[in-house]
Amino acid sequence: MALNKKALHGVIALAGVSALALTACTGPTGGTSTAPAGGPIAYGTTDKVTALDPAGSYDNGSFMVMNQIYSFLLNSKPGGADPVPDLAESSSFTSPTEYTVKLKSGLKWSNGHTLDSKDVKFSFDRQVKINDPAGPASLLTNVESVSTPDANTVVFKLKLANDQTFAQILSSPAAPIVDDEVFPADKLLADDDIIKASAFYGQYTIDSYKKNELVSFKANADYKGVLGKPANDAATIKYYASPTNLKLDIQQGNIDVAFRSLSATDVDDLKKDSKVKVHVGPGGEIRYITFNFDTMPFGTKTAGADPAKALAVRQAIANLVDRQTIADQVYKGTYLPLFSNVPSGFLGANESFKDAYGDAGKPSLDKAKKVLADAGVTGAVTLNLQYNPDHYGGSSGDEYALVKEQLEKSGLFKVNLQSTEWVTYSKASRADEYPLFQFGWFPDFSDADNYLTPFFPDGGFLKNHYNNPAVTALINKQLTTADKSAREAGIKDAQNALAKDISTLPLLQGAQVAIAGSSVKGVENTLDASFKFRLGTISK
Amino acid sequence: MTTLIEVPDVEPGTAAPKSKSAPGGGLGKYIVIRFFLIIPTIFILVTLVFFLMRVIGDPITASQGGRLPPDVLAQRIHDAGYDRPILVQYFEYLGQLITGNFGTTITDRRPVVEMLTTFGAATLELSINALLVALLVGIPLGLIAAQRRDKTTDAFLRCFAILCYATPVFFSGLLLKLTFSVWLGWLPVAGRVSTRTELAMGGLANPSGIYWLDALRSGNFAALGDVMSHAVLPAVALGLLTAGVFLRLVRTNVIGTLGKDYVEAGRSRGVSEYRLLTKHAYKPALIPIITVMGLQIALMLGGAVLTETTFEWKGLGYQLVQYLNARDFVAVQGIVVLLAVIVAVTNFVVDIVAALIDPRVRY
Repeated sequence: MALNKKALHGVIALAGVSALALTACTGPTGGTSTAPAGGPIAYGTTDKVTALDPAGSYDNGSFMVMNQIYSFLLNSKPGGADPVPDLAESSSFTSPTEYTVKLKSGLKWSNGHTLDSKDVKFSFDRQVKINDPAGPASLLTNVESVSTPDANTVVFKLKLANDQTFAQILSSPAAPIVDDEVFPADKLLADDDIIKASAFYGQYTIDSYKKNELVSFKANADYKGVLGKPANDAATIKYYASPTNLKLDIQQGNIDVAFRSLSATDVDDLKKDSKVKVHVGPGGEIRYITFNFDTMPFGTKTAGADPAKALAVRQAIANLVDRQTIADQVYKGTYLPLFSNVPSGFLGANESFKDAYGDAGKPSLDKAKKVLADAGVTGAVTLNLQYNPDHYGGSSGDEYALVKEQLEKSGLFKVNLQSTEWVTYSKASRADEYPLFQFGWFPDFSDADNYLTPFFPDGGFLKNHYNNPAVTALINKQLTTADKSAREAGIKDAQNALAKDISTLPLLQGAQVAIAGSSVKGVENTLDASFKFRLGTISK
Repeated sequence: MTTLIEVPDVEPGTAAPKSKSAPGGGLGKYIVIRFFLIIPTIFILVTLVFFLMRVIGDPITASQGGRLPPDVLAQRIHDAGYDRPILVQYFEYLGQLITGNFGTTITDRRPVVEMLTTFGAATLELSINALLVALLVGIPLGLIAAQRRDKTTDAFLRCFAILCYATPVFFSGLLLKLTFSVWLGWLPVAGRVSTRTELAMGGLANPSGIYWLDALRSGNFAALGDVMSHAVLPAVALGLLTAGVFLRLVRTNVIGTLGKDYVEAGRSRGVSEYRLLTKHAYKPALIPIITVMGLQIALMLGGAVLTETTFEWKGLGYQLVQYLNARDFVAVQGIVVLLAVIVAVTNFVVDIVAALIDPRVRY
């Protein structure tokens, strides 16, 4: 069949032209364009926003936006984590169970409403009243009541006297102050309604909002809080599903800053890219192995129950893990070795495990052998070690493969490594189903106590059957010690005692890693121990 | 896996004679039966998804399971009502569905209907673009393959067709992205539009959510260009999936038609090969395309999940993955119901079209 080739070519050409028409209009805003200098600061993240209502969310993505648009009674300045007056003029304990805050006068919401003590009381009362399952109301368990003697004074009555974490609670996700004329007292307010009502008092107001797609901020000229005037006039947050796309966009200059969460491999790769700069700041995230005192080898509910042998097993493991190798090989420096239950950077943090086990931070086979021999443990001990592959990042598998290798190399242990998806894992781990298991923690607020009180008194939230009244007493004591140096000493004592018992074995401490374009300034100022990313510090 | 439907060997321009023995007989009855089959189809799917989503866990545990003591976690699950008997929850859900109440998503607290319309528009845009690519690639190449039957070109095109629908869309998507975005830098890496354009189009009243349409409405041609440049790679990745099917279908049908007696007769009368192809073979070969197009909608929606995730194209597929990971069963159920309705209605329309074209398919 000899088809008329000219005609056929015509058909093909038509198809080709049509296909090209799709790309013909490509403008200068394609993928390779760089963000204009002086334009809005473009921030990218894989975090997600649950809700802009502080009573309805308790996650990094939501809190990041809240930190730009709301204020707190107390907040930390960029570069530090100590709470200082923000909406407050002053704050202090006026009695062991009363914490009094004096507000600045003449404060106004961006919609013109007055911001005074009524708003403050309303904000805390509604948190407790709504008590949303996904909200942060649990952080306010020590608040008995809130009273307002006058428009500029707020008095918090506390259940536990001299709670040294309360100042941090006032700058936590439970404490953004909201407009009582806009927010309902007993239910959550939808994001769009918050924006429509312009109920903001922060460095920025929201200009346009497409949930978990794009948020656009404009500097708030009326803001007089502790963060000061932002270093830019406007900013945007773009949300990504894939860390790979986030990485490619920061490389191509489509965004100025990428923060949370790139993989260790991506960060390592970006370190070699001259167009971007990798900024690393202190991180509060920790990773650790939890021992179930009932079901671990020689645990109290096992056939050969023997507390001394169980302790020897924990101590031998502590002597064998090589944290530095895990941090370097698996996490490429995005995590650092952690040698105590309280990570470095917090008041009183020490390296109790480094002092007690291993060889100056390195593993020690001799010490491991000795503790087991001294306790009468013979032969290789079988460990059923569980980890989770989907909640703590894709590198957990590599991390625990390395832990297994380190333990088995000693000849002292045989490790059965198992993994389970998160929903099942999170329940089973606290239902005595796993003798040893991986867990992680991100602090609720920046205080050493947040790594102690939730974990160890009466088995804590881990429910691993660890209970040492002496340790509990130490933890409770530091919590209510007003003198800073005395409290610091108490925190150290608690860590040292915990290192002896090894309820959990600290492994790694996460760093905050932000990637920025080479011309972007100020990122390092916000990567502090408050773990609050402030767009207002950034300029280009 | 794509199943090619058998196209009845009906001579173009003629309808098959109505079979008196055909059970059920009339078109009206056929339409009614097909229509009422939609309801149980959707019902079964809704039920299946409801129970499967409950099996994989609740959103409270997914988000807070690692932070709370078990008793506090259990209390929160109780407060949210996720620990009630599963049948109670199921019938409550069905009741809401019947009254058109899809609820509010758990993880980002937005009305499901609003979420469906917002992201549905994005998926519709991607589907239209992909269908366009499929037609523009599949039909001309199918014609060429038919015309060059059993030659090297034909063999090459048939291999290309197999590659098109056998290659997972996330793989072809990544390949396209690496080539055209990362290495060559011609096209954007991901997203539906650049931030600047999105902000510029933000002031548009009553946006449709279909960006090229909104850009056209606003008369902003720079924005249109930006939108188009973002649309190319996702459309090609998803479109090629169907293009392979179209290519093979057109080829098969054109070859079949070119061998018919009436075409041979035309040939012997000296009618040009081009005229034979376009007048006698090309048009009839497009009829099965119309029916298959409907059947490909389901394939496209499946492909959209992967395409949207690969290219950060924020449509229903992209959101479905996000919500699944968060165990947001309210959102997942809403999306699945919508997708089920789309597929069921599309198949219904296809059935009617097929019945109109060929009465033999009626009951």
